[in-house]
Amino acid sequence: MIELRNAYPFSALVGQAGMRLALCLNAVNPAVGGVLIRGERGTAKSTAVRALARLLPEQQVVAGCRYGCDPAIPAHLCADCRWRLAAGEDPLPRNTRRMRVVELPINASEDRVVGTIDLEAALQKGAKRFQPGVLADANRNLLYVDEVNLLDDHIVDVLLDAAAMGVNVVEREGVSVSHPSRFILVGTMNPEEGDLRPQLLDRFGLCVDVKGIRDPELRVEIAEREAAFKTGDREFLARFRTADLDLAEALGAALKALPKVRLRSNRRRLISSICLQAGVQGHRADVVIERTARALAALGGHREATADDVYDAAELALAHRARYAVRREQEELAPQDGRQSEEANAEAGERAEAGNSDESASGAQESEGQGEESAQAEAGEQAAGAEQGRTTGSEGRSESPIEAEDIFSVRKIELARQHKTRKTGGKRQASKASDRRGRYVRAEAKEKVTDLAVDATVRAAAPHQAKRGRARGERLRLERQDLQQKVRERKVGNLIVFVVDASASMDAEQRMAATKGAILSLLQDAYVRRDKVALIVFKNRTAEVVLRPTASVSLAQRRLERLSVGGTTPLTHGLMAGYKVIKSELSRDPTIRPLLVLISDGRGNISMFKEEPLVEAQKMAALIKSEKIEALIIDSARDYSTLASVQHLARVAPMYQSYALNACSDLAERMEGRYYGIYDLSREEIAAAVAGQLNRRR
Amino acid sequence: MAVERMTYPFSAIVGQDRMKLALVLNAINPSIGGVLIRGEKGTAKSTAVRALTSLLPEHQVVKACRFGCEPSDLDHLCSECRDRRAAGEEPLPAITRRMRVVELPINASEDRVVGTIDLEAALKEGSKRFEPGVLAEANRNILYVDEVNLLDDHIVDVLLDSAAMGMNVVEREGVSVIHPSRFILVGTMNPEEGELRPQLLDRFGLCVDVEGIRDLDRRVHIVERRAAWEEDPAAFQAEHSSAEGETRARIAEAIQTYPELQVERPILRLIAQLSIALEVDGHRADLVCARAAQAQAAFDRSSDVSVQHVSHVAPMVYSHRLRSVPFGKAGPNLAEVINRIVAQ
Repeated sequence: MIELRNAYPFSALVGQAGMRLALCLNAVNPAVGGVLIRGERGTAKSTAVRALARLLPEQQVVAGCRYGCDPAIPAHLCADCRWRLAAGEDPLPRNTRRMRVVELPINASEDRVVGTIDLEAALQKGAKRFQPGVLADANRNLLYVDEVNLLDDHIVDVLLDAAAMGVNVVEREGVSVSHPSRFILVGTMNPEEGDLRPQLLDRFGLCVDVKGIRDPELRVEIAEREAAFKTGDREFLARFRTADLDLAEALGAALKALPKVRLRSNRRRLISSICLQAGVQGHRADVVIERTARALAALGGHREATADDVYDAAELALAHRARYAVRREQEELAPQDGRQSEEANAEAGERAEAGNSDESASGAQESEGQGEESAQAEAGEQAAGAEQGRTTGSEGRSESPIEAEDIFSVRKIELARQHKTRKTGGKRQASKASDRRGRYVRAEAKEKVTDLAVDATVRAAAPHQAKRGRARGERLRLERQDLQQKVRERKVGNLIVFVVDASASMDAEQRMAATKGAILSLLQDAYVRRDKVALIVFKNRTAEVVLRPTASVSLAQRRLERLSVGGTTPLTHGLMAGYKVIKSELSRDPTIRPLLVLISDGRGNISMFKEEPLVEAQKMAALIKSEKIEALIIDSARDYSTLASVQHLARVAPMYQSYALNACSDLAERMEGRYYGIYDLSREEIAAAVAGQLNRRR
Repeated sequence: MAVERMTYPFSAIVGQDRMKLALVLNAINPSIGGVLIRGEKGTAKSTAVRALTSLLPEHQVVKACRFGCEPSDLDHLCSECRDRRAAGEEPLPAITRRMRVVELPINASEDRVVGTIDLEAALKEGSKRFEPGVLAEANRNILYVDEVNLLDDHIVDVLLDSAAMGMNVVEREGVSVIHPSRFILVGTMNPEEGELRPQLLDRFGLCVDVEGIRDLDRRVHIVERRAAWEEDPAAFQAEHSSAEGETRARIAEAIQTYPELQVERPILRLIAQLSIALEVDGHRADLVCARAAQAQAAFDRSSDVSVQHVSHVAPMVYSHRLRSVPFGKAGPNLAEVINRIVAQ
């Protein structure tokens, strides 16, 4: 029976059809691989997930099993169950249970996620026992990760591992266990708060984007239903209980029908040609579309998946994977139409202006793999370039986007900062984390133990037990000197915040092109090293954070390529925006090391606080210095201030005085940052300058 | 206490011939030094490594040895086997065991990797016994690290140490043990997630880059096989069992024949020329290339190691040893250099 008393009914949700469908498809076929829901807050994401779980059919589990093993599939049994089987408990006793939503909190520690040594057993009996974690709870359930993009990197790593294998392998804190962990992964994220790592992104079978509903009628409807639910309106509950029951029945029927749903071979060809056209990486997309299409057919009560099912499935499966748009074609691909799909490929390639054939033409470049990375980076870049070509003249202004690659060929620049510290005595750049976050790497004896390493403590105490007079089966005799503290480590990344002047003056002498080129090369390097980058652009009357701190190079590239110049120079706004981004990032993670890179001619001419723009910028510089934020200033203008004629002019005509002052080097002094002229430096040298700055802090 | 997994048959993997070959060559001659598989998401990297398990050969181990010592290799026995010999157990009894794939999960903590004091023994008997870790299990087996570029630095340090010495020296918590730890290191990674440390990169004998297949028909084939496998794993395995058996037999045969194949001087010269032209550091590449060519020849049932064998394995030997950085276009072009030198 479905309890509706304290849970919002699934069928009472308004709108968000894509999200609801994606969730249902996962219910019908868990092999679809979960769903990532991207969108703003307050769009009923978690309500929907919880509501769905209650509609799912009950499942059989082995009674007393900590992992909820399925008695029907011997191959998936955990070690405990196997042992019980071998010991003669055959058949294994069963229970039924309802599928649950297991939540993975953002601040979860690794021990809680993968499981750890059982504290009580260790201390009471000196026994080494495994205490299961979230990944054990999640077996055969829904694993729900809210704000999945904010998850700590090392938690993401273990999640990926488990999701990939369906097994959680634990080799830590003295325990060595592996247990099944197959779950439907449901994640939500707000893209404005940062990207998801591509590897994790790809693990989500489907992806939907949700938006707040703009239709006033529907908004009212939502509010009314919410109120009816809160007050326990009988009519409301009765109405949607019936609807939910119907839906639950439909899901149950689809679940049963799924194994019989067929997919004709020309539809399989269609799937693969769609994936080729979309330029996806690897083959997971093909597999996911196949499964989703069959789930769609099952849900629709068909025995065979149609072309529409395939396209609908592709839409859900490619939202986060496609590099090029896919067209829906009415006519089906006939078997001999291989040529036609090749044309489609070629077209996709042309659209991306990809000069390199490996991205588009089929099988042209199978054996030569080592140029792959560069080819991909380039293709991404060129695709972005093409995109920019289509979206010229945004907002109808006469601003011209400027291309970077005409000036500089993109080449990787090595920021040698991480290896450098390692060479000197093999020290790690990961910093010791003192706040119980980060990976537990080893234990040490300490005066004051705040984060007890149970395994190490028990091990330290073990040899002394006899001496301390402990009898068998007694509680472990611990003494103060046994206590061991966990030493945790956490990778600390740099945060490079680019504050870029996009005023009209940047149009001169190809300054913008030089700037873009320099940033691009830094981005590629930052990405590989998992540094975060942010991009702030100022022009006209405001500064805009075009890219929040992210580790996604492709996103940064695209944003950068689209940059156009024009208008006045609100320098203060730019510095303020950069300052705010750094402050907010620091508040989330105090260990991060920020670096503000200002690229401008330093001649602000828009006031933010009704003061002289130059003075305002100087004050901002002082503020940045007082917060101990590292800075690097790259002067985009030629330095005329030292010319004799300018000096002379400034002396005779006070109105030209400011021209005798190099605004940028002045700001650099005030921030105690370094100063470079963009024309004094090649792009490599700019990158080296940033690297140098980051190294200097060690 | 491991959950057994039914593995997808090795021979049922569509395409990715270089990756499969690199794994096979290592199974034939472990001293090639392992393989690193780099590639984009969803290209059967992990599937292939796990599938290799069923193709691995059998070998002799000392009976009841916790470290899987080789009975005939007296220089590399563990301290326990040495004690047994000293106590008069001579010769050491041997049993036959199949080589295995031992996984190192990235959540591993140091104590489980190197091994530590056996807790329960210490408590129950008050004795200081050593509890072997992953490095002990990996001895003479394949040590597989998925997402190897995400491995913690301190675990990498431990790996590098024991890979360099061929043994694991444990001095911690009152236990003091030395045991052999010679393993074939196999790693998979997605380069998008970050680079590998150069020292670790150099440890891998071979390296292959894999990418998705762009051919429509073969793509369809992949999805079809996957679906068939999921529907009925047992039937799928049965269907591919003869192909698996054939590959297994060829590997077993090559293990017997490769030591007899001479790598002639002209071939060694050719390899040296390659290394010079490609400006690689050190001499590890030369050794690896000769061994890989030899294993390739044995696998091909060829009577001698030819130029073709060298040119076939050279890309796997040199691709990760070139000095130029990944994004760079500079530096010698691998394929070009190989073609040029082989043509001479």
